[in-house]
Amino acid sequence: MHELLNDPIDVTVDFIGHRVRPKIIKWGNTIFNTEKVNLVHPAREGENLIFYFSISDHSHFLKLRFDTHNMEWRLVELYTD
Amino acid sequence: MSIILHLDFNSFFASVEQQANPFLRNKAIAVGGKSGGAGTGSTGGRAPLLARTVVTTASREAKALGIKTAMGSMEAMRILPSLIMIQGDPQKYSEITKRFLNIMRRYSDAVEQFSTDEAFADITQAAGDYFGATALALQIKEDIARECGPYCTVSIGIAPNKLIAKLAGESRKPDGLTVVPPADVINFIDSQPFSAFCGIGSKTEEKLTELGISDVKSLRRAPLSLLRSHFKNQGDWLYLAARGAGDDQVSDKVEDPKSIGHSYTFPYDLELEAELKTNLLALSDKVAFRMRRDNFYATQVSAFVRHARFPGVAGPSSAGAGVGAQHKIKDGISDGLEIYKNAWEIINKIRDKEMPIRLLGVSVSGLIKSPLPSRLFKKDQKTHRALEALDEIQNKFGSDSWRRAATLKTVFLERASGWHYDHEI
Ligand SMILES: [Mg+2]
Repeated sequence: MHELLNDPIDVTVDFIGHRVRPKIIKWGNTIFNTEKVNLVHPAREGENLIFYFSISDHSHFLKLRFDTHNMEWRLVELYTD
Repeated sequence: MSIILHLDFNSFFASVEQQANPFLRNKAIAVGGKSGGAGTGSTGGRAPLLARTVVTTASREAKALGIKTAMGSMEAMRILPSLIMIQGDPQKYSEITKRFLNIMRRYSDAVEQFSTDEAFADITQAAGDYFGATALALQIKEDIARECGPYCTVSIGIAPNKLIAKLAGESRKPDGLTVVPPADVINFIDSQPFSAFCGIGSKTEEKLTELGISDVKSLRRAPLSLLRSHFKNQGDWLYLAARGAGDDQVSDKVEDPKSIGHSYTFPYDLELEAELKTNLLALSDKVAFRMRRDNFYATQVSAFVRHARFPGVAGPSSAGAGVGAQHKIKDGISDGLEIYKNAWEIINKIRDKEMPIRLLGVSVSGLIKSPLPSRLFKKDQKTHRALEALDEIQNKFGSDSWRRAATLKTVFLERASGWHYDHEI
């Protein structure tokens, strides 16, 4: 199932060099541990820079949205087999 | 003699989706979208419907099971009920486009983008010879796997000109590498059907067949005078193509667009005049923002609608015919409100007022690239200043930061129905 969402989440990240790697994602009472970062892509909204992280664990795909302007994380897509 | 490289992604949008989401890999998926559709629109909180989308790209697994580009999603689901339909996510594709163009520019100063997933590069200098060209192509493939992701594979063709390079690249999919040095060109093109040539459409092929010309070999025997008399200028091109000759100029100049437009296919039918106007204004503002950003004025406004044939019935069977019309404007305009006024006049005239509307579109053409003409500048100085201020805000905070009060209700959902590839703003 593929859900399009726009939910605030709490994210623990690793900083590796100049990169940010989402590690633990807390969505309500559900917790996801990142196994793979499959794609990171930026998007400009005017001068504001947004980063999208396409990540997965053993049974879920998540697309996270990080707004660099207000430092806010959101879960925007959730896919399960 | 030049060495030209042509690069083309395999099942581009679908591969990027499979790269991002491992649960889509090795599965028949299709990326849905609207050909030439969309920008913004009022979705009223309702979920976007897949019913009105077409297949823009099928994964290689889906292609093998009969799913084709431009197929309606309903038809595709009927052919393959297990097909996974994914709504397009243009920002993701655009990022991969940027990355592969950057990779190609490492190896060549002349890179010509041919489409979102296709480009030519003149690699004469970097490669030296065809052996070097092969090594370079493998290097590019490696860079793409590393920087775009291993699920994004490309087919590469290398030849003395763009025509043969593209033909070569497309002869082996997926993940192909086909090198056709000058000495092999004739043998190679003789093995290709007319339909594989970029530049020989079905009409040309039909005409050739009528003249008794059924393959490249027989085309080469046809005298130039015969080809000219039947195909005019294209006759010269055909004469050269049959000899493996073609354009080897790779130009990295970006041409000015001939028109700027936005359209939107609504996830539900619009019945209220107020709703139509609101969405038309939102589309006009989007067009206007792009025009001002790129410094264009328009002397023509076009608008079009598509009615839902049977009110309340969803699905392709209810798709009505589209109607559109144009307005010429004496003075150049770049203001969304002006565009909207012209577009609304057109739409109100051509629409069937009894029918709900499924698709709305606005475009401007007759584009002039220049600063505002002084005569206009004086007359509209106030508006112009206001617009500049608004653009500044928009540039700073993105296209959602200001909206005319009337369009405040418009919501732009992620992967909303009717996405359009152009999402720069
Ligand atoms: Mg392609």
